[in-house]
Amino acid sequence: MVNLRKYLIATGTVTYAMKAKNILIKKGYKVRAEKTRSNYKSNGCGYGVVVWCNDIASVEELLSGFGVKILGIEEIANGLS
Amino acid sequence: MVYLDNAATTGHKPEGVIRAVNFALKNYSSNPGRGTYGVSQASAEMIYNCRAKIKRLFNCSSEDRVVFTNNCTEAANFVIKGVDIGRNHVIASSLEHNAVARPLRTIEKSGAQVEFAEVIFDDDGATVRSFERLIRPNTRLVICTHASNVTGHILPIKEIGEMCFKNNIPFAVDAAQTAGVVPIDMQKMHIDYLCVAPHKGLYSPMGVGILIAEKDLPKTVIEGGTGTESANIEQPLDFPERMESGTVNVPAIAGVSAGIDFINRVGLEKIYAYELMLAQRFYKRLKDIPGIKIYTPYPKALATVPTISFNFEGALSSDVAVFLSERNIAVRSGLHCSPMAHKRIGTLDDGTVRVCFSYFNTEYDVEIILRVLRSYKRLLKN
Repeated sequence: MVNLRKYLIATGTVTYAMKAKNILIKKGYKVRAEKTRSNYKSNGCGYGVVVWCNDIASVEELLSGFGVKILGIEEIANGLS
Repeated sequence: MVYLDNAATTGHKPEGVIRAVNFALKNYSSNPGRGTYGVSQASAEMIYNCRAKIKRLFNCSSEDRVVFTNNCTEAANFVIKGVDIGRNHVIASSLEHNAVARPLRTIEKSGAQVEFAEVIFDDDGATVRSFERLIRPNTRLVICTHASNVTGHILPIKEIGEMCFKNNIPFAVDAAQTAGVVPIDMQKMHIDYLCVAPHKGLYSPMGVGILIAEKDLPKTVIEGGTGTESANIEQPLDFPERMESGTVNVPAIAGVSAGIDFINRVGLEKIYAYELMLAQRFYKRLKDIPGIKIYTPYPKALATVPTISFNFEGALSSDVAVFLSERNIAVRSGLHCSPMAHKRIGTLDDGTVRVCFSYFNTEYDVEIILRVLRSYKRLLKN
């Protein structure tokens, strides 16, 4: 089984987060939308998606291509295998 | 009751809409997208899915351009006051509802130059030329009703949109009477801003409107909490949150979503064809009642919505409406918040009696209202 890394992609708005979630699910990624901690890239309350993958650059490119505004990406602990 | 005031709001909502609203009240009663807990997330997801359905129905570019407002009037205000016309020029049609005419008057008082293009009822080409003649180098917006809520005429939106596109002028459409009734393709029609009254053609509850904004709006009318960028005192720029300050009407949005499901299941073309059939049946026999004057052309696909305005010679429109109301038939009389359209057809003094059919009306409803109108005519004679 492949070890997947876990990333938080900050989108700022819940709409972008939901859009990102839908795009990534259709592409077969494990993903969830969640409210981010208030100081993370969003100047206050914000939203983002947590995605499990090993190709975060492709994910970023995919989401940007669909017009999802990405405020920042960080790897978080506890990846999934 | 025979409900024939569907141009104001569809009187009969599909069972699926009622169930969805009820479900939302029980299961989505939270502030969508603000909380970390499950109900808030589920509510946000439902709203996003509704945006996606709206995107598909009207073929706009992206879900995040779909804004929920409190009603269609608010959507029109957001566009007219948001484009930042300043002292520049704006063109509207001669059939506008007060939802458009009054905000235009407000910006006119602040210095904007407002002009109205004459709608030529039997010549779409002439209508487009009316708009074209008014274009100036400083025209910042063309806004136009898709169909008159008084006469039911459909305006040549695609051609007006093409004209705006060629001249690089933002184009806004008030689709209060048409969204969910006739096909609307924002990309093919070059519509930059679409204002929708979902409680009409999308069968949703009242208290929700839709603005689809393909272009940004430099100015906002309402500012406040959006659940995003909360440390920033400035209104965020990202759509749709920029235009959605405060908590949105979650149960009503659930109703919009179910209303679109209903339209997709039955088929928009089938719904429209049925409504037109009722309007044609009514029209054919209404015109044979002596003393009737009809202000709507014979209902035809893509030329009219299923709305018919008429008057009885020698009777006030309000008297006819009261007579019908006493016999449990709901129609609308007066000016229908559209004095411009009434001025155009010469009925500004008293207005008209307006009948509008929906998918939930029957041929029996047509028979009933005709029978009562004939009895009113006999009463007038005596």
